[in-house]
Amino acid sequence: MMSMLTMLTLAQTADGPTPPTFWMPTGASAHAPSVDSLMWWVNFIMWAFLVMNTALTVYFVWKYRHKVGTKFRTDGPTHNGPLELGWTVGPVLICAVLFIFGFKGYLDLSTPPKDSYDINVTAYKWGWQFKYPNGAQSDDLVVPAGKPVRLVMRASDVLHSCYIPAFRVKQDLVPGRYTYLWFQSDFPTGMDRPTDGHHLFCTEYCGTGHSNMNRRVFVLPQEQFDAWATKQANWLDEIPEEELYWKAGPKLFARCVQCHSLDGTKGIGPTWKGIWERVTGGAGSGNAFADGSTYQSLIGPGKQYATPEDYIRAAIFSPGEHLVQGFGNVMPTFKGQINDKGIDALIGMMKKLDEFDPKTGAWLKAPPTASAK
Amino acid sequence: MTTLPARPAAPTYDTPESDNYLIHDKGFLSWILTLDHKRIGVMYTVSVLLSFLVGGIFALLVRTELLTPGRTFIDADTFNHFFTLHGAVMVFLVIIPSIPAALGNFVLPIMLGAKDVAFPRLNLFSYHLWIAGAICTVVSLVMGSFDTGWTFYTPYSTTTSAGGVVPVIVGAFILGFSSIFTGMNFIVTIHKLRPPGMTWFRMPLFLWALYATALIQVLATPVLAITLALVAVERLANIGIFNPAMGGDPVLYQHFFWFYSHPAVYIMIVPAMGIISELIAVHSHRQIFGYRFIAFSSVAIAIFSFIVWGHHMFTSGQSPLMNTLFSAITYSVAIPSAVKIFNWICTLYKGSITLNTPMLYALAFIILFTIGGLTGLHLATLSTDVHLHDTYFVVAHFHYTMMGSALIAMVGGLHHWWPKITGRMYNDKLGMIACAIVFIGFNITFFTQFMLGSHGMPRRYYDYQPEFQTYHVISTIGSYIMAGGFVLTAMYLIQSLVSGKRAPANPWGGATLEWECTSPPPYYNFHEAPKVGEPYDFSNLQWDERGEGYVTVKPTEAKA
Ligand code: HEM
Ligand SMILES: [Cu+2]
Repeated sequence: MMSMLTMLTLAQTADGPTPPTFWMPTGASAHAPSVDSLMWWVNFIMWAFLVMNTALTVYFVWKYRHKVGTKFRTDGPTHNGPLELGWTVGPVLICAVLFIFGFKGYLDLSTPPKDSYDINVTAYKWGWQFKYPNGAQSDDLVVPAGKPVRLVMRASDVLHSCYIPAFRVKQDLVPGRYTYLWFQSDFPTGMDRPTDGHHLFCTEYCGTGHSNMNRRVFVLPQEQFDAWATKQANWLDEIPEEELYWKAGPKLFARCVQCHSLDGTKGIGPTWKGIWERVTGGAGSGNAFADGSTYQSLIGPGKQYATPEDYIRAAIFSPGEHLVQGFGNVMPTFKGQINDKGIDALIGMMKKLDEFDPKTGAWLKAPPTASAK
Repeated sequence: MTTLPARPAAPTYDTPESDNYLIHDKGFLSWILTLDHKRIGVMYTVSVLLSFLVGGIFALLVRTELLTPGRTFIDADTFNHFFTLHGAVMVFLVIIPSIPAALGNFVLPIMLGAKDVAFPRLNLFSYHLWIAGAICTVVSLVMGSFDTGWTFYTPYSTTTSAGGVVPVIVGAFILGFSSIFTGMNFIVTIHKLRPPGMTWFRMPLFLWALYATALIQVLATPVLAITLALVAVERLANIGIFNPAMGGDPVLYQHFFWFYSHPAVYIMIVPAMGIISELIAVHSHRQIFGYRFIAFSSVAIAIFSFIVWGHHMFTSGQSPLMNTLFSAITYSVAIPSAVKIFNWICTLYKGSITLNTPMLYALAFIILFTIGGLTGLHLATLSTDVHLHDTYFVVAHFHYTMMGSALIAMVGGLHHWWPKITGRMYNDKLGMIACAIVFIGFNITFFTQFMLGSHGMPRRYYDYQPEFQTYHVISTIGSYIMAGGFVLTAMYLIQSLVSGKRAPANPWGGATLEWECTSPPPYYNFHEAPKVGEPYDFSNLQWDERGEGYVTVKPTEAKA
């Protein structure tokens, strides 16, 4: 059985991801083939016992059916030493072999190579933040192909779990401590079409948006990855000041859309519709905060926030300071994740919301082909 | 021996009205304040079945929402409340009490040959605590319900804004004590109230199973109570125990929780295995194969179940060494389970098998538990579990074990003892049809969930990727079929109460003591002290045409 197992493993180290099978999705990591072959064997054991048990049960029930009124048989055995020993030792051996192979696979899985490429991951309600060594950040995970990648992960609020089915890996993210996950994928996926890449799911229940924490994992050849990372680190700097609000605004807003709408619907957070009027003392500015203060009492020369811009900036960096009436303290801080230029872009967008699609946040003046990327 | 004529004495079914526990006293108070274990068992059964209805409705709502990705008819928060309520009701109000407290209460003293349990007042108190726990759940619903999942993982459970978390925790705490008291009662009853002749190895296997279960109930449940109390304290007094924002440790919570909840899954399955041993032996009318092994393995499983809890935490961040140890030990519970299945199958060999509703449920159990137990191997194996953990694969695994096995055994047991409990026979044809419908619907519902899970569909998801939809639709259709089977079951059972044929004392040909007293049993269970024999010796039983039941042919009596 062992040699067959290794054979199966070797047969799958092909030059592309393994195609999906009846039981497993496509496998695109170095680790996937060993999991799949073990899975195949456990399934085999399951089917073998299931068929045997079912067949014997059905056969005996038919063969030894009793006719009411006739005598009961009394010749059925009540013990059989060798048989009982055999059916105890057999499963013990099967379990021992399964344990050993499961352990072997797990050892690989829990020991990242020394030279792995580290990406910092923060999970929050309800999204992911990926940070790369060069300062780049992204909402989807982008990794270099053919190189071991280690995720250094933490959660900012409750438990989350990072699961990439195509890589057969999973690890919880725990607030207050770091956890690690590593994998290597040799097969680039591209990142241009929406179907490119693999799924990344949150698999530890975390509330309302739990099922919307799915993101993509893109695998890029090394040079392409490097280029992407450099561009990603500097993307804001390259945008000229006057184009900032419509080029950068919608991209940054993608992180807010989970909770804030543009069309007036109440989400997990207050809508952005009319936000600039509110903070500058126009319509809706009478809306009190949970602590009793109003926009007027907080914003203005000599008050807590000298300008509306200061207030917005504070609301993004330390969201819990003043809670808008009717909303909980659920927004994560974006300090260290959005720089001043990003804040400018967002404020610029808030000032001209009528130029943006109230459903998608896309800039309406853009020619229809220009994507948000 | 079998050529001897049946005992000519007037069959007991002619005058069941003379005295039985159902008519011994009358009025609402005579039930709600009764000390009779049989009435308490009946009240538990009714309560558990009503809770099953409630939990089942939540399940259907959840499955219906999952027909399409995104919103089908409810929003994400409502969905989260519904799946949480489904799980919590089914675990704490239905499956944990279903076999020990409901059927066990009724059957245990009679099978043992005793008049009642050791502490009848404590027994009634257990039931009243169950009611109190159920009321807490209702209070929780009124106060905003809860959306934590049945596992109450911290820090989500200590920070969620859902208003009903504390009441339901109080409820689970109270239910825990209900379970502990039942367990204590059974342990003492089995130790102290065995009549002369009832040695340990003459005890029917259901009693061994209830005994092992009681050990777990008494030893494990206090840990749950303490854990839940700590969660409540953290929520109410803001003392950091599990929430890292206040200096606590969320993984510690998981250790506490599973230290109870893994043994708790054996509170569900061990008595179910006990029922299956009875059903298989009685309806095959033959000495059970490997009696001692089955008896001891119940106790062995109970003990092992305390040292495998970490297999729920392979990806939680606990150390690789712990994961390795827990994986290795986990297989130890799989082996006695496997061997029990082989014993049951061997009991069928050269038996005299009557295929009726209870037996059909027992056979369904063998197949479903084979699947449920063997998929435990996928999960005990470290590298495959990392892929499967917290996906629908786990959901399917525990539905095969908890519903396909524990609950199916409970329903099978209910059909087995129904004539004894109610004094009425039900329509056996409809029973078999309903069982088949449930079996088919169950497999359609849950086998697809193995496929969903191994392809990567996470559990507790309101929204999902379109590629999973086909499986979800099939699963939902299966759940409707299953619901149809249960509705049919409810209908013919209720019908049997109204117009069912009167049940003979021994409709199936069982040799344990409960088949010696009338159906329904007299108030004190036995008119005269029963003679304790071998529980699985069927050689003295003979079919009696007139009574449509079995009678005991006593060799000595016949000689006279
Ligand atoms: C035959 C032996 C069994 C083995 C080896 C086994 C193994 C496992 C393992 C390793 C897990 C953790 C999976 C994960 O979360 O990744 C698990 C989950 C579970 N098992 Fe089993 N199991 C067995 C039988 C049973 C039985 C008999 C029951 C119940 C009656 C049961 C109920 C459960 C439940 C409720 C869960 C998951 C609970 C949750 O996460 O909500 N298992 N099992
Ligand atoms: Cu467990």
